[in-house]
Amino acid sequence: MSERNQNREVLDAAMMAGHILLENGAEIFRVEETMDRICRHYGIESCSSFVLSNGIFTTAGNKREEIFAKVQHIPVSGTHLDRVAAVNQLSREIVTGSLTPAEVMEKLEQIKQMPGKSKKMRILASGVGSACFCYLFGGNLKDAAAAFCSGVFLYGYVVFLAGPHLSKLVANIGGGALVTALCTLLYMLRVGDHLNYMIIGSIMPLIPGVAFTNAIRDIADGDYIAGSVRMMDALLVFFCIAMGVGLVFGLLHRFTGGAIL
Amino acid sequence: MTAISEMAVAALGTVAFALLFGVPALYYPYCGFIGGTGWLVYSMLVKQLSEPAAALFATIAVILISRTFAVRKHCPVTIFLVSGIFPLVPGALVYWTAYYIVTDNTALAAHTGFLALKVAVAIVLGIVFVFELPQGFFRFAAKKDRRASEKKGKIKR
Repeated sequence: MSERNQNREVLDAAMMAGHILLENGAEIFRVEETMDRICRHYGIESCSSFVLSNGIFTTAGNKREEIFAKVQHIPVSGTHLDRVAAVNQLSREIVTGSLTPAEVMEKLEQIKQMPGKSKKMRILASGVGSACFCYLFGGNLKDAAAAFCSGVFLYGYVVFLAGPHLSKLVANIGGGALVTALCTLLYMLRVGDHLNYMIIGSIMPLIPGVAFTNAIRDIADGDYIAGSVRMMDALLVFFCIAMGVGLVFGLLHRFTGGAIL
Repeated sequence: MTAISEMAVAALGTVAFALLFGVPALYYPYCGFIGGTGWLVYSMLVKQLSEPAAALFATIAVILISRTFAVRKHCPVTIFLVSGIFPLVPGALVYWTAYYIVTDNTALAAHTGFLALKVAVAIVLGIVFVFELPQGFFRFAAKKDRRASEKKGKIKR
């Protein structure tokens, strides 16, 4: 294979590795570093990339090396840390081993297809997490049981309705509202004793922990643009959840004259 | 006794959220341990100190352990960090703020909202400072046979 084609393949592989990392919740410096490491290992010295929270720009080319440029838009999607770990492992193997660019490409393709956890498992996990945090924040066992129910229901909504069909803002307002309505219902049916702790527990699956943590780390690394976009994302989600909760509370307050709150 | 059972519940909750973030099953015990420890530190300190101070120390503990495990297991620190920080993120305070706003308790709402902000800033400070520690500081955790390659590669996590 000519050197030109080989270089093109290496750069494509680096781009794809960056794409997978960014899409699945890695920090900006990890994306840049991994792409850089792959290029350098195969002898492309002139590669430089610029990574934002939803796009990668890569160029290569100098007097000796072919010119290559690529821009890729990467929409923000869910977090799959297993893929981040897999790409990280692969980049170690590239540096220490003797993989050809074609093999790297093949492995990246496999990582991209890696199955996530099944919907059933995720819904169940959401219930368990909600129950645990409800208990930690001061609820008793009955509250935890109620939080389990609404956590399960909430994630069913996230997986089947909000994820595929709704925008992020509406999805989170709806999620907050759904949880509040559901917990109020359970509270009135005397399933749980403390309405507040039930709601706090069951909104936990919506809290943007990954966006918040990554935003801080990006800003600390000096990637201000990506960091502030992610921070904005996290704050907006917080705000939307609070708004959803507030909306339903406001309605209840009006209809029941403050009997519940 | 309650401290131990709370730690166990926090660990279970952390593992549940680790699953939602797609952490490989292999790392669940570590995530659970980190989440449980973070909560233990927080709940022990919150009675003596204020919420933000407790959150700061808990964050520091979480990140120190996360970085140690990341070096030990050769995997991105994000995996441990994100699930470990989760119990400390002030979701409950955000809820109380919304609650006080709706129930027309503006003074308490402002107080709680500000407290949530302070806790968030404490977490930020914890993360920023502990990540300034050089990677070499955590080399004690690396497995012996890999230590040489670790030095050569100088891999930033």
